[in-house]
Amino acid sequence: MSYGMKIFDSSANEIFSTTDSTFTLLGVYTSNADTSTTHTNVPIMPTRIVTRIMVDQISGDDESYVHTFNLSGSTLTTTAPSATETVKTIFMVFGK
Amino acid sequence: MAHGLLVKNDDGEILIDSDFSHYHFLGKYTHTSITQVPDINEGSVANAAQGSNDYKGMQNMPARGEIYKFSVPVNGAKPPMSFIKPTSTGSSAPFTGIILTKQNGTNWEIWVFQSVVTSASPVLYCFAPLSQISNSTSTTHGLKTFDNSGTATFDSRFKPLRVVGGGNITSPTLAHTGSTGSSWTVSLGVNASNVSASFTNQSSASDLIYYCPSIASACQQYTHIEADQGWYSYTYYAWARGDLWWCFYRSCFRIASTSSFEANYGVYARGHVYEHKVDSTNLLFGIVLGAITGGAYFAAAVALAINSGAFTSAGIDGGNYLPYENSYRNNSANAFIISKASYYD
Repeated sequence: MSYGMKIFDSSANEIFSTTDSTFTLLGVYTSNADTSTTHTNVPIMPTRIVTRIMVDQISGDDESYVHTFNLSGSTLTTTAPSATETVKTIFMVFGK
Repeated sequence: MAHGLLVKNDDGEILIDSDFSHYHFLGKYTHTSITQVPDINEGSVANAAQGSNDYKGMQNMPARGEIYKFSVPVNGAKPPMSFIKPTSTGSSAPFTGIILTKQNGTNWEIWVFQSVVTSASPVLYCFAPLSQISNSTSTTHGLKTFDNSGTATFDSRFKPLRVVGGGNITSPTLAHTGSTGSSWTVSLGVNASNVSASFTNQSSASDLIYYCPSIASACQQYTHIEADQGWYSYTYYAWARGDLWWCFYRSCFRIASTSSFEANYGVYARGHVYEHKVDSTNLLFGIVLGAITGGAYFAAAVALAINSGAFTSAGIDGGNYLPYENSYRNNSANAFIISKASYYD
């Protein structure tokens, strides 16, 4: 590294540096079961990814639908594919 | 940003933005228990003397994967990012994925599904926002940022998440392609081609950990019905037997190499139900067919399995005893993130 920044701990181990890459959490959005929801004011970064987590499904029953989504600008539009079998979904939007 | 700290790397990627909370290392966790979904293997035999009695168990069915249950002590509404350190890597490694995430009191319950049973166990490396980390530290070295409300958003003393790769990956559509069986020999093993996604090449595959919750599932079945009737030793005989085998698959993933991430399926649950009747009426075939396509008998059999905590399936009241048939769900791209265990060991 000829320029940039490194952060060390007290034992001189490198913890973080500008040669790294990371994803910053931009927001966590929850879409309830069987409900389509539009989330607004999603922060914008040059690169963003969206992870989906099925939550609170009945233990062992994993046949439910997960929400689909579209992230455009500051709007995350989530759609329940089924009105009766779509599980609660947590969307985590990361950026870098 | 009117004030604060913004750090970018030479690719223009944002590394630290004091306006946003970063995920930091929470801890490394081992499972609290291991389980498998019990088989559903049920059938009735009115008179086994007529017709074949072979293959009434789980013969030729593909092996089930196993479920590792974790309890991650992090109290808050934001689920931890749980990176999997798999038991092995490479083209023969098992596939592994997080299939359940559930808040349970002050912990988050995480279930990790692995496609095959191994003696070694996957380990979770978990990350959470600083606001949900109660760890303490006495060190005074490092860098800490705050947002405009005075809330800490980045603190190098708690090992911020460092990423070495990532992207999107879509699981195969069906887990099994081609013939699903012949006569009473079922063929439902996972044979779909692996789906591969590449990431920046790393020096050691065995050091890599990944975050990619499983969302895709598939269910496939095979049915077989046989019947015969006629005269034997001055006695009229008639028998019919119908069988249905099914597998329920969950998507899971593996580190295939230092630059390749792969997706496929593992057998999460499986079942074999059958009806074997002996009768001299010409309604026999219909009786067996009706039972196999959703009779009360099978609903009761599955209800027993549910009561034992085995496999919960929607629509049992309607006589359905398998999740759904020959189809797949949630087969769309999901993001994956790669990091290194050695950053946090």
